[in-house]
Amino acid sequence: MAIPGVLYFLVFKYIPLTGSVIAFQDYSVFKGFWASDWVGFKHFEKLWAYPGFHRIFWNTIILGGLRLILTFPIPILLALMLNELRIAYLKKSIQTALYIPHFFSWVIIAGITFDLLGYHGLFNQVRGWFGYEPILVMQMEDYFRPVYILTSIWKEAGFGTIIYLAAITGIDPSLYESATMDGASRFAQIRYVTVPLLLPTILTLFLLDIGSFLDLGFDQIYNLLTPMTYRVGDVIDTYVYRTGIQQAQYSFTTAVGLFQSVIGFVLVYVFNRSARRTEGGLW
Amino acid sequence: MVKARHRTFGEKLFGLVNASALCLFALAALLPLIVSVSTSLSSKLAVDTNQVFLWPVQFTFDSWKYIVFRPDLWRSFGLTLASTLIGTALALLVTALLAYPLSKKEFKLGGVIMAAVIVTMIFKAPIVPYFLTVREIGLFNNPLVLVLPHIVSAYCLAIMRTFFKQFPHELEEAAKMDGCGYFRILFRIILPSSTAVLATLGLLYGVVIWNQYQTPLLFLQDQSLFPLQMKIKQFIVDGNELPILAAKAVVNYNERTLRAATVIFAIVPVVLVYPYLQKYFVKGAMLGSVKG
Repeated sequence: MAIPGVLYFLVFKYIPLTGSVIAFQDYSVFKGFWASDWVGFKHFEKLWAYPGFHRIFWNTIILGGLRLILTFPIPILLALMLNELRIAYLKKSIQTALYIPHFFSWVIIAGITFDLLGYHGLFNQVRGWFGYEPILVMQMEDYFRPVYILTSIWKEAGFGTIIYLAAITGIDPSLYESATMDGASRFAQIRYVTVPLLLPTILTLFLLDIGSFLDLGFDQIYNLLTPMTYRVGDVIDTYVYRTGIQQAQYSFTTAVGLFQSVIGFVLVYVFNRSARRTEGGLW
Repeated sequence: MVKARHRTFGEKLFGLVNASALCLFALAALLPLIVSVSTSLSSKLAVDTNQVFLWPVQFTFDSWKYIVFRPDLWRSFGLTLASTLIGTALALLVTALLAYPLSKKEFKLGGVIMAAVIVTMIFKAPIVPYFLTVREIGLFNNPLVLVLPHIVSAYCLAIMRTFFKQFPHELEEAAKMDGCGYFRILFRIILPSSTAVLATLGLLYGVVIWNQYQTPLLFLQDQSLFPLQMKIKQFIVDGNELPILAAKAVVNYNERTLRAATVIFAIVPVVLVYPYLQKYFVKGAMLGSVKG
């Protein structure tokens, strides 16, 4: 009964995992994962000496860090605001509008973004009203990071409110009743009842987010990136795809990928353990 | 909620500001879609001269007529639809087949397998050996690659296993007494009463398969095998995909209106099924807090 599932994990997870040994080899397609020539840490040394690697590494860290700090609080605020909205049909419509971008692929989101920020797009139309010249936003380095953050918010912030709204629903109504009896205003109720009771959820999700902050999302970056913005937007995932897969530098980019996997492992492990202590981690 | 107390002026004002701000956010989330819809329904001239804003100008279906008569777009659409339906069904089947034994204490290997599954959640294989492995097993330029890499997610497996663990044992015991094997118990008793969890996880799998981009980018080179997202990407970035628009052309579209129409074309199915799936994805997002 378990065989198909176990086979899946063997083929799609464990063989590639053991295949990571090619980071220590000069991989040859004909010799395979184990029979290629061993070269020790050659590729890792090359990696450290390669200035391009430092750039993509820092791009990865910066984008991950910015996303963590700037996008994390938004679903919490939105959930608190939605919770204060008492008109049921309005609340439901707003939720629908905020949730739906979550279900669009990054190709779609990026396609719309390119159009909006293009030469004739909405952004430049609005600039035109104020007498500014049109600019090519997607081709400008300064705008890549803001665009990355804004598209992340557009796609996921609304959907992220679900878990907080569920946590708010779980709060014992008698707490609000007694707060009202004591004359607490709505603000005071948010401040002294809702927020403190949400804190464990917030903390857990935050720790899980730190744990996965190197997962920038290949689809998102790849679809938003243009050659003009490589300097600020090229990250490990996109670099590995271009050099590793497209130019067949298998061993070197496996070393790059392995480096990322190890850091990712440490982050996920440490922060999941802490998350488990607060409420509940992934395992 | 206690409604006895009168709302103060400050609270009323807050309610108003709050509601307006949320409406504004909702509009901001929809605005890009509205602009795309209007662009796709406007004339070439109106778009070229920046007249289109929130509503179509010089309304025309020309872009849509062009899009709807592109057979390759429908082929990609069909491929994506088929892979999503087949993939989701297969994923639920394989996940259930693994989750069920893992939920049983008497399954001796269960602990080892579950630990091995969790390892894959925290230590991810680099993409290059993954690419080489999947290519080696013959999935390069093979449409099965749209389905097979997605048939088990460790996350969904953990959720389903937890669900099976909570399933009342009495029913299973009774079925066992009547001579039912594990397969019969799973398919006749457990799965029919797990429709809510199946729908929720099916939605998670379905969204992943429908929207997938990285996997087809890695493994599919043959254009006739491109799923919808790859096709859309071609329309957006690759000018050659679009018809060559001579100045004298009598058609009433340009690259921008066609791109907008393609994007909306890909969104329409999602928007259509959205109302039916709403209750399940709310459950799905909440399951995230369930421990595996």
